[in-house]
Amino acid sequence: MTLVVQTTGLGKRYGRKKALTDCTLRVPAGRVVGLVGPNGAGKSTLLGLACGLIRPSAGSIEVLGNRPAASAAQLARVGFVAQDAPVYPGLSVADHLRLGARLNPRWDQRLADGRIRQLGLDPGQKAGRLSGGQRAQLALTLAAAKRAELLILDEPVAALDPLARRAFLRDLLDFVAELDVSVVLSSHLLGDLERVCDHLVVLSGSRVQLAGDIDDLLAVHHRLTGTREDLDDLPAGVEIILAEHTGGRSSLIVHCAAPVRIPAVELAPIDLEDLVLAYMTRAATASVSGFSAEPAEARR
Amino acid sequence: MIWLTWRQIRVQTLTVLATLTVLAGCLVLLGYQIRHAYNTDIVGCQPDICERAKEKFLDAYDGPLGMAGALLIGAPALVGIFWGAPLITRELEEKTHRLVWNQSVTRTRWLATKLGCVALVTLAVTGALSLLLTWSASRYDQVLGERFEALNFAARNVVPLGYAVFALVFGIVAGLLVRRTLPAMALTLAVVAAAQILVSTELRAHLMPPVTTTVALDAAVVEAADGFSVSETDGLIEGYEIPGTWSMAAQSQLFNADGRPYTFAQAKPCMMLGPAGKECMAKLNLHFGYRHQPAGRYWPFQWIELSVFLGLAVLLAGFGFWRIRRQPS
Repeated sequence: MTLVVQTTGLGKRYGRKKALTDCTLRVPAGRVVGLVGPNGAGKSTLLGLACGLIRPSAGSIEVLGNRPAASAAQLARVGFVAQDAPVYPGLSVADHLRLGARLNPRWDQRLADGRIRQLGLDPGQKAGRLSGGQRAQLALTLAAAKRAELLILDEPVAALDPLARRAFLRDLLDFVAELDVSVVLSSHLLGDLERVCDHLVVLSGSRVQLAGDIDDLLAVHHRLTGTREDLDDLPAGVEIILAEHTGGRSSLIVHCAAPVRIPAVELAPIDLEDLVLAYMTRAATASVSGFSAEPAEARR
Repeated sequence: MIWLTWRQIRVQTLTVLATLTVLAGCLVLLGYQIRHAYNTDIVGCQPDICERAKEKFLDAYDGPLGMAGALLIGAPALVGIFWGAPLITRELEEKTHRLVWNQSVTRTRWLATKLGCVALVTLAVTGALSLLLTWSASRYDQVLGERFEALNFAARNVVPLGYAVFALVFGIVAGLLVRRTLPAMALTLAVVAAAQILVSTELRAHLMPPVTTTVALDAAVVEAADGFSVSETDGLIEGYEIPGTWSMAAQSQLFNADGRPYTFAQAKPCMMLGPAGKECMAKLNLHFGYRHQPAGRYWPFQWIELSVFLGLAVLLAGFGFWRIRRQPS
């Protein structure tokens, strides 16, 4: 299996502040990866490390088998759209395409022109006068026409209104299928990612909480409901991610590789949102109570 | 990459070129005026009115040439502030570095192209200005005979190029480190101005050890001196300068032929004579040591100063290239 991103013990700190801690990830190729987590969780740091804008303070990261931004060839293989989709305000839309054409050896002019036409952007317009959505689309066009093998998009829809958001993501899916490219995109809202991603990484408190193909993740997580007593004694191999108690009844979100049967306990599948929230809540509780987000601590 | 750099600096470059064209016109006109005045008033002037004519000539062109000189001395700071400092900070402030550093161009090549293009324009503009001013002022400088004078030296020939490139690269590197435009501009202004002042007031005189030659005090020397001061123990000649050289001492001690210092006791008889005292003094066979930088060192000094600042610029640029690869976003 080829990996687009592989990190080992990756960490980044700014002074005493840890932006990313001990991150070990293996992201397979051909996926649309959603990186989700609350604001300040370290999403931008991880993406910055992946495209080589930031250098790690600990551990290592390989993107498409190489150190990020190690050479012009490596830069050509990774497309990146930074948060808020920065563009040159004084340059026109056409100037941006010319910039892309001159700075990228694998530039796809047909794709770029086609997208600009499809989006209805005026090539003569200064990029500084585009709306947030148009700017994001222009930045995405630049990154796409570069014909990279991996596209990294940092909060691409955060600044967009719901309508533009939907259009942007639909658009993204369209050309992902067309270009055969892997994509990593981040958002602090799972709703944005749910529709487009098939692989998920949950980041919270500067640590990776959960990572995997969405289908696999859903297959090994369940909701158990029953009385407290019934749920007191769980078989081995069942890890509690989140426990909620209302009256005499308890509801647990658990991780277990194989299906379990416990008498008098109802076992149900969970949806992605509940799963992600469970991991984020666990991380938040752990950091509030002063413990790191280790499973053992969260189990209390 | 060259296309992008040009696209980003073309407005400033064209503005500068337009300004340069106007200035060039003014300097050429001034140059011809000065040459005309020199040919009619100074060449072949009658000895009795020659000094007056020279003074008038110098007075007439002191102002415009001084202004042009000040502009050329200020040019490096302007280049550093308005071209150097914002070159990277503008990208950082608008976050466009995150766009351009993720095209298929390494940061090293990105910086090399930007720095190279802007440095070439800077060299061309400063070079043209310096060349024009040097040509324009050549007759004036010849009559004045003070090529080493601080403002003249720094605003003629090749020295301005060194300062301009140094200021440009300093501005760029300051921007890379400070990351914000205004502080980088302020830092650049402070350092460039400090370098210029320090070099002209302190360092330039020590580029080579000064030479001391013995000068015999004859009538011409007495005439050329600003004055004399004599005490019980020694006598001094003040403000004497051989034209074209750079005097390192405002006053020098006078000695007799046998090495004894010239004193008040010896000076008294001549001083009694009033206006004829100077003639009397010239006959005493006195001499003094004149400590100076010889006229022939003008060009070595120009080249040394140019090399020093180009060298500093290269070192700074090297640091910049090392730094930009480690620059966090």
